[in-house]
Amino acid sequence: MASDFPRVVITGCGVVSALGFDRATLFERLLAGESAIRVMPEWELPGATGELLAAPLELPHEKILSLDRKLRRSMAPVAIYATLATRDAIAESGLSDEELTNGTTGCAIGSTLGSPSAIHETMRLFHDSGLENMPAQQFFKSVSHTAAFNVANVFGLTGALLAPCSACASGLQAIGVAYDEIRLGRQTVMLAGGTDEATPEVAGTFEQLFALAHPATGQNAAEAIRPFDVNRSGLAVGEGAAVLVLEERVHALRRGARILAEICGYATNASGRQTSQSDAEAIERCLTAALREASLQPANIHYISAHATGTRQGDAAEAAALTRIFGNAVPVSSLKAQLGHTMGASGALELAVTLEMARRNTLLPTANLAAPDEACAGLDLLQAPRHSALRYFVKDCFAFGGINAVLIGEMPSAVEL
Amino acid sequence: MTREEIIQHVNAVFVDQFEIEETRLVPDAQLFTDLGLDSLDIVDLLVELHKSIGVALRNNEEIRNVRTLGDVYDFLEKYAREHPEEIHSAGK
Repeated sequence: MASDFPRVVITGCGVVSALGFDRATLFERLLAGESAIRVMPEWELPGATGELLAAPLELPHEKILSLDRKLRRSMAPVAIYATLATRDAIAESGLSDEELTNGTTGCAIGSTLGSPSAIHETMRLFHDSGLENMPAQQFFKSVSHTAAFNVANVFGLTGALLAPCSACASGLQAIGVAYDEIRLGRQTVMLAGGTDEATPEVAGTFEQLFALAHPATGQNAAEAIRPFDVNRSGLAVGEGAAVLVLEERVHALRRGARILAEICGYATNASGRQTSQSDAEAIERCLTAALREASLQPANIHYISAHATGTRQGDAAEAAALTRIFGNAVPVSSLKAQLGHTMGASGALELAVTLEMARRNTLLPTANLAAPDEACAGLDLLQAPRHSALRYFVKDCFAFGGINAVLIGEMPSAVEL
Repeated sequence: MTREEIIQHVNAVFVDQFEIEETRLVPDAQLFTDLGLDSLDIVDLLVELHKSIGVALRNNEEIRNVRTLGDVYDFLEKYAREHPEEIHSAGK
């Protein structure tokens, strides 16, 4: 890198997903073509135009009970997912309790809007029965920074506590702001990532805009989400969390931590004109800014983990921006056909899978991509796993409100390992 | 509502909500020191008792004086005697 800022590396990464609770399992199930998308007969959404789909995760009860009751009281699912992912990330990094609690470590954990299930329950209780039936910590389960403060309390963090809530860019923005905290010398370590819940209310926000996919006649749920495909019809919401340990590079090297990757560029911007639609020009500017910060050319990038949710407009806008910068020279895929759109978690979760792709020299394809849409066909779209060494990679996320975020990572060289 | 029924309802809250083994639920047990509750748990105890037996205790001064599990039983037994119309036993 050309700057004098401290370098920032990733030394741990935990995941909680619908296809597994560790990176290796998640990667292997994705590689095997498994899908977490299923029909949700238990969801009610009056006015929906078809059968509802989602990619829910089922957390084993013992995992929930592994968290102390008093800490768990303030946790909705969104915080439980984040806490479990953080615990695994810390274990992988080998950070000590002293390092976690001495003020040099902070956290930045984003979610779309806090816990949608807890917000719904809080409002229901207020309106139905007032305070008599309101648990003491109901409010704390709901708030926009619930995942971040719960993580801080569980692990005794006393550094910065940040919680970007920028819809589907939240997780990647959290990693970006954590990267900045370390580059600016404010923190040595940041626990950073995203978490989110799939609920009918959240699905409803997409359905209202006709962005939710419904299975066509005779189509399995697992075939319904088709990023970049000519027959794509929308997304399905998913849930989960991923949290990374970001660390100042010299600190990591001195303590002998294993470096999973380095973050070498990040950018976030606004379209300044869109609420619900992706904006190709703004995405292009964001990609360009991230490449500039990383001092890289488009030709240096070996893989792009796309945002592509499976909507008609969003995938086309992303493809247009990627094509203008990268042409067909860089392999591109989206994991949302199998994991659904995990929204505030997606940036971190898909980055976690990318780390695993790089470790195994195997790029995962976009499932259900049978016939690339003409609007997306200018890219090198992965339709099958590809064996390929991967050094530099891009992860991008776009969100309601016209927000874009792009992160560029580099796998450590053999010398550093 | 009998004292036995009150004990059943209260103990169910301590087992389900506070995850305390039933064998530890003896009348002499101090809520904070022996059973590990804190002030937030007391708010939740009132919420659960409201759901369980219908008593609305948020504005009751006397409930704030309980120290032991036996105090909770005694308070509710007296309360049920004095306010029988408020008590129900919908259970959970």
